[in-house]
Amino acid sequence: MADVSLHGIAKSYGVTEILRDIDLTIDDGEFVVFVGPSGCGKSTLLRTIAGLENASAGELRIGGKRVNEMPPAERKIAMVFQSYALYPHMSVYKNMAFGLKFAKTNKADVDRRVRRAAEILKLSALLDRKPRELSGGQRQRVAIGRAIVREPSVFLFDEPLSNLDAALRVNTRLEIAKLHRELGATMIYVTHDQVEAMTLASKIVVMNQGRIEQVGAPLELYHNPRNLFVAGFIGSPRMNLIKGQVRSVSGGSVTLAFTGAETSVDVVPGTLRAGDEVTIGVRPEHMADAGANTIALEGRIDAVERLGEASYVYMKLASGDDVIVRSPGDVEAAPGGRYTAHLPGRALHVFNAAGQSVQFGK
Amino acid sequence: MRPNIRPGRIAVHIALVLYTILAIGPIALILINAFKTRRAIFSDPLGFPDARTFTTIGFDQVFTKSDFGLYFVNSLTVTVVSLGLIILIGAMAAWALTEYRFRGNTIIALYMAIGIMVPIRLGSVSILRMMVELNLVNTLTALVLVYVAQGLPLAILILGEFIQQIPRDLRDAARCDGVSEYRIFASIILPLITPAIATVAVFTMVPIWNDLWFPLILAPGDGKQTVTLGVQQFIGQYVTDWNAVLASLTLAIAPILVLYLLFSRYLVRGLTAGAVK
Amino acid sequence: MSDITASGVQPAESVSVRSRFPVHVAVFLAPALAIYTLFSIYPLIDTIRLSFYTGDESGARHFAGLANFYTLLTDPAWSGHFWNALRNNLVFFAVHMVVQNAIGLGLAMLLSLPRLTGGSVYRTLLFLPTMLSVVIIGFIWQLMLNPLWGIAEKILSAVGLGSFFGPWLGQETTALITISLISVWQFVGIPMMLIYAALLNIPDDLLDAAIVDGAGPFSVFWFVRLPLILPTLGVVSILTFVANFNAFDLIYAIKGALAGPNFSTDILGTFFYRTFFGYQLQVGSPTMGATVATAMLIIILLGVLIYLFGVQRRLQRHTF
Repeated sequence: MADVSLHGIAKSYGVTEILRDIDLTIDDGEFVVFVGPSGCGKSTLLRTIAGLENASAGELRIGGKRVNEMPPAERKIAMVFQSYALYPHMSVYKNMAFGLKFAKTNKADVDRRVRRAAEILKLSALLDRKPRELSGGQRQRVAIGRAIVREPSVFLFDEPLSNLDAALRVNTRLEIAKLHRELGATMIYVTHDQVEAMTLASKIVVMNQGRIEQVGAPLELYHNPRNLFVAGFIGSPRMNLIKGQVRSVSGGSVTLAFTGAETSVDVVPGTLRAGDEVTIGVRPEHMADAGANTIALEGRIDAVERLGEASYVYMKLASGDDVIVRSPGDVEAAPGGRYTAHLPGRALHVFNAAGQSVQFGK
Repeated sequence: MRPNIRPGRIAVHIALVLYTILAIGPIALILINAFKTRRAIFSDPLGFPDARTFTTIGFDQVFTKSDFGLYFVNSLTVTVVSLGLIILIGAMAAWALTEYRFRGNTIIALYMAIGIMVPIRLGSVSILRMMVELNLVNTLTALVLVYVAQGLPLAILILGEFIQQIPRDLRDAARCDGVSEYRIFASIILPLITPAIATVAVFTMVPIWNDLWFPLILAPGDGKQTVTLGVQQFIGQYVTDWNAVLASLTLAIAPILVLYLLFSRYLVRGLTAGAVK
Repeated sequence: MSDITASGVQPAESVSVRSRFPVHVAVFLAPALAIYTLFSIYPLIDTIRLSFYTGDESGARHFAGLANFYTLLTDPAWSGHFWNALRNNLVFFAVHMVVQNAIGLGLAMLLSLPRLTGGSVYRTLLFLPTMLSVVIIGFIWQLMLNPLWGIAEKILSAVGLGSFFGPWLGQETTALITISLISVWQFVGIPMMLIYAALLNIPDDLLDAAIVDGAGPFSVFWFVRLPLILPTLGVVSILTFVANFNAFDLIYAIKGALAGPNFSTDILGTFFYRTFFGYQLQVGSPTMGATVATAMLIIILLGVLIYLFGVQRRLQRHTF
């Protein structure tokens, strides 16, 4: 078991910077998810930790030891690839035992480890099959099994569920979570799917354009996004964003004007001045109910998505802002009709013109 | 980049450059020496021709003592006509075999595939007999017929795989519009297979242009020689005339060299694509 | 192969939908079938038929059963040449299998290195000799190795191997190997390209997985890449086999139909040519020529069958 720490990790190909100044500490036994849009550098970061890419700068430590110069096999890591990367010419057994061959593990030990992993993953009956004779879900489990037999300190997963169909994905997600509980190993998991990130992670790392935008527990990111990017990325459907302006400031409280209404919000003192442009963020589920301090916002309905337990009402406000309201499942609404969203006094997120939260750290 | 298996790139390039020199050095030497005087060919074979050693006497010899221009036209005619027929006839057959399910479909496909593995050369005794009976000895027609028969199997295989990749909807849409099968082939399929022609060309054109066996057996005289045979006969006759030998080789190499360097991208792509299937 | 049995079943359901053998299908197939049958399949069959006949001076032909084959394999005037040609042909093939495939594999490995600068230039140049006529290549090397010109000797001396040089093409002991190597030199581009394409086809993830598993460069090659390109090596081998047992042009260009010195470079192709057309005082014989051709056909078919049923079945093609 081991912790992982990254100090000032950077990676560039020629002039293209893939990763810049990544600082991150992952504690022993944590389940960390790197999440971000495609091309944000999350896979490159994972491959750098694995040793498949060399960092251009910075220091990488696993279990307290500097591993920058170490080949992947010596880093005590195991990786599960998006394509599973099973050796097509080897049986399931040989696929799992392949890495142990180079670790000079004795035969009996190899056999014991492979059979144990197969048992955990319900692969015992399939050990003699070739990968092409397996279903997608079974291949996925073999790929995980190959990682388990190495008994690594750190598991690395590179979008392992993206090739599975929706039903299988939920199942496997639960299995991976269970595996984490049972093995207690450090796991680093890359995905572009924020639902996977929210459900699996003990700590989420949101990445964008080669940088870390925010690190935190799932609900922490959900409730206190540090900036507009994180606010928009975490949560589905995404957070509503409405343009506004600072009317007046009095200490830690500012009055904001937007779409014909006004409200007061607590912010970190000194972060906003009167006249500043701001973006107000509010999650769809906070806009359905009228209450004591809510502000009613009228608009025209563009579309209604009915999910059963809830209905998403897509509407356009008089100001021109588009918002989504998570309403009760049986709400009466139809495209073209009028609808009223209710802006709560609390649960408002305020971002300055640079997109940074002005409430963060308060 | 995989840092841990990264070999010394310089060593890799040294190995590749050395082998490249081995691969094209001999050809380059022939081309260089073809333009030198006999004395220079022997005294300084590795040197480039300069003002003192430059001569085209070899080429003059080739053109006065042989019908090189004619051989070239013969080769060109045989190759182009054969390739054209192989593509047209081959595409028709490939289309029929891939598009329609009918009794005997698979058997015909297997029958056509025999020719990929069994060299038609082995039937030469009977081919010559037939050509004598048909009065086609020493004609380019004989060569074209044999080369078409030889090239068809592979062409049908390659074109068939290519036609299979043309979306079915395209043909079915035409059928819904009441277009006849012939028109579908002529106005939809033929234009769409043009990219495959490069691949077919690699596998059929080059062997035809370079062949010695059938010209030697079927059309060895009467001014019907191809370049390959013509050069072979010429060198056999003037083997001691180094200038003429080198010039004739250069003349045989040059057109292929130019075409190859112009189109190598397509040829190489065709070859690698053919392997991927 | 299983398609044959399937074809008996398939039409049953499609017959009702479409006519049994539509006219347009016949039109599309007819030209190819006609030319191919007439100038490829018929001559092959006719050649086999002819091998069972003998001709006399008047030109009349008599059915002779297996007499020609008996002559070919046992008559001292024939069998010595036949076995010699077969043996030489096997040597010719063995040199190709070992040297050509090894060099082709090596070059393909180098060319498939990620982000190799100038890769396409190397590929183009290395493949160049393959494009030229065998005859031209034969003459080029005849000149290169000609002691009179002495260029090969000069180059060898430059790297300190001058004393090693000899009239390789003229010596009975070295001529066949030399010619085989010339052929290898020309055709190494084909295995190189096919293997290169196969290597590119292996997903990077698989190689990464092997590295994470602790495999070094050699182990990655031996345990992962090599097994995955085996089917391609199989294809290369059978292509080489058919081409080698059908070769003629190179030896005819360098050594003539007599495949000297003292038949040391005689292979089945040149033997077939001499038998059919005659040489020096020996009169050519179409029926004996057909017999030799049939023998070659049997050898090639044997090779192909061994490949199809012995080798190819074991080489699982992998899709990634």
